Amino acid sequence: MANYESLKQAVIDGNGARARDLTQRALDEGRSPQDILDSALIPAMDVVGDKFARHELFIPEMLVSARAMQAGLAVLKPLLSEGESRARGKVVIGTVKGDLHDIGKNLVAMMLQGGGFEVVDLGADVKPARFIEAVQTEKPDFVMMSALLTTTMLSMKETIDALQVAGLRDRVRIAVGGAPVTERFAKEIGADFYAPDANAAVLKARELAVRA
Amino acid sequence: MATSSQQVPLLHRLSDGAVADIHFATLEILERTGLRLYDEEAVTLLKKAGAHVSEGNLVRIPARLVEWAIQIAPKRIPLYDRNGRQVMALQGNNCYFGTGSDCPHILDHRTGARREATLADVVDGMRVCDYLPNIDFVMSMFIPSDVPVPISDRYQMEAMLLNTTKPIVYVTHDLDGCRDAVEMAEVVAGGPDALRANPTACCYINITAPLRHNGEAIQKLMFLAKKGLPSIYVGSNTTRGVITPVTAAAAVALGNAGALAGLVLAQLVREGAPVVVMRTGGGGLDMSTMVSSYASPETQGYRGDVCHYYGLPIFGMAGCSDSKLPDEQALAEASLTLLVDSLMGANLIHDVGYIEYGLTNSLEMLTMCDDVIGWIRRFMEPQPVNRETLALDLIHEAGPDGEYLDKDHTYRHFREEWYPRLMNRDNRSNWEMAGGKSYREVAREKVEQVLETHRAPELDVDVQRGIRAVLERAANSAGVRLS
Repeated sequence: MANYESLKQAVIDGNGARARDLTQRALDEGRSPQDILDSALIPAMDVVGDKFARHELFIPEMLVSARAMQAGLAVLKPLLSEGESRARGKVVIGTVKGDLHDIGKNLVAMMLQGGGFEVVDLGADVKPARFIEAVQTEKPDFVMMSALLTTTMLSMKETIDALQVAGLRDRVRIAVGGAPVTERFAKEIGADFYAPDANAAVLKARELAVRA
Repeated sequence: MATSSQQVPLLHRLSDGAVADIHFATLEILERTGLRLYDEEAVTLLKKAGAHVSEGNLVRIPARLVEWAIQIAPKRIPLYDRNGRQVMALQGNNCYFGTGSDCPHILDHRTGARREATLADVVDGMRVCDYLPNIDFVMSMFIPSDVPVPISDRYQMEAMLLNTTKPIVYVTHDLDGCRDAVEMAEVVAGGPDALRANPTACCYINITAPLRHNGEAIQKLMFLAKKGLPSIYVGSNTTRGVITPVTAAAAVALGNAGALAGLVLAQLVREGAPVVVMRTGGGGLDMSTMVSSYASPETQGYRGDVCHYYGLPIFGMAGCSDSKLPDEQALAEASLTLLVDSLMGANLIHDVGYIEYGLTNSLEMLTMCDDVIGWIRRFMEPQPVNRETLALDLIHEAGPDGEYLDKDHTYRHFREEWYPRLMNRDNRSNWEMAGGKSYREVAREKVEQVLETHRAPELDVDVQRGIRAVLERAANSAGVRLS
């Protein structure tokens, strides 16, 4: 569809106003909100994500694209039913207890949004009880935890154990990340996956969301 | 041994006017934007001194307090070795070099593979540091993965105290860890008064963000200020484009604001508390790889100009690389940053030997850098120009056809030349006969030889027991077993 091509291009170019207008035009032409989302907005962000992975695009450019995608999505949101609006899946994310470092976590959150995920950001120094509460109320597909310090990494295990005790562990896929975190550590504490950087986190979540 | 003295001209990147603008920007950030301090005692102290407090912990510091702190803070911080000899004077543009702390990984020189670091690696690292002539101070280099996490900082401190006589820059998890590290250093120095008189160790305190200071950092700073012991309080990792605006000027002003807030607090606790501020080097988030670079060029040199304006001792950062191996890229980045930090007169230059943007340490890299530092030290030495060095009579006597190899003058002065310890200047056939080894291979052999043969003098058994006692107490209160 020529229409979708220019909508996709508007998202890739980071042109929010054009993405919004073209989304509206597609609706006016009778396309369904779900089709616009699945065939234009999300594929456009996939192109952006792939370009970023190939070092052809830089983070600020990707964020501008994500914002353009959100502008299109804002037009669709009121028309999408509850289930549909969670295009890719829902993520609850936070920096774990005792750790105030939230930059890596923020980066992952921004990139997840760019990748079409709905993100609930709990902030930094998030205690296990707060994660549990969020899993109960938000019903996310993923819980993602970040830590920068070797000492606070242990809060990740504490959180997973708390989710287990609360009987919520199997309702979500758990990801961990942060400079000191390793694949081995992730396995040891019973996380579902580990990603070495923000883009890898999005790619893995994308892969798991497709399989789910 | 300091590289340079006040007589060596400094490299400047900023005009006097630009430095003043950064200073005023710093004052404005502290007074207008303010910062969050996650410690009640600190907030109360600043409030009493005239700072404006809102939202519980948002503190706006008036310019006059900052100017006052800059004025009364020590411009000279001496550090001593284990034998009570003053070996470092952090002042002016004296340069001293040391490792970094807490890399989770080592690039093992024995296997060439990267793996999680262990306590044995910390010990090996300290032995190599103790041997290397151009490494003046040590930091732990590695996070040992084979000891209980809550007390891994005590294990690092013990390994440093036992395996080198050089001054120590230590990092601890929290206030308790800091207290224990100080107590261990006191055991070696012969008590609190001895350590205060001849400090052998300095705590490196890092904060969450320039305007967001975590409680542990503040508590450590205040504890050390009370004790009159030196600390390093930098305005956090200022990853440009993320933690600060992407432009160098803003990053330097924000980082400066964070550091000076700490300086104010320390001076309020105790006037004259010794604090090293700022951190040179480092830089932006690479917007393509999301890696925070350890060697990007943009801000190199800026912070030196600002610190020299205050006269405060400067924390440097050089000899480090983003490369995953101690390879050509690593040596290029390490050499460039070492030279720049020296030219700008940073005092306490750390992170020598880091590769992989601070996640991995390499003893080969460290050993290669030691030789590079030797080159720089010779380069930075003042060169006298006088009758003896101009040697005009000698030139005239020798005449146009003369040569100088057998002259007394040559004999008198040729030892002033710098000779590399590892870099190779052999002719090709001799080099080939000796195995045709690369610089890295030579460094690897050196590391192996040092680990086999070099040991720092052992501490008295009682002193060793005293250090262990602190470690055991920490293990008990953390509820972990000693490994």
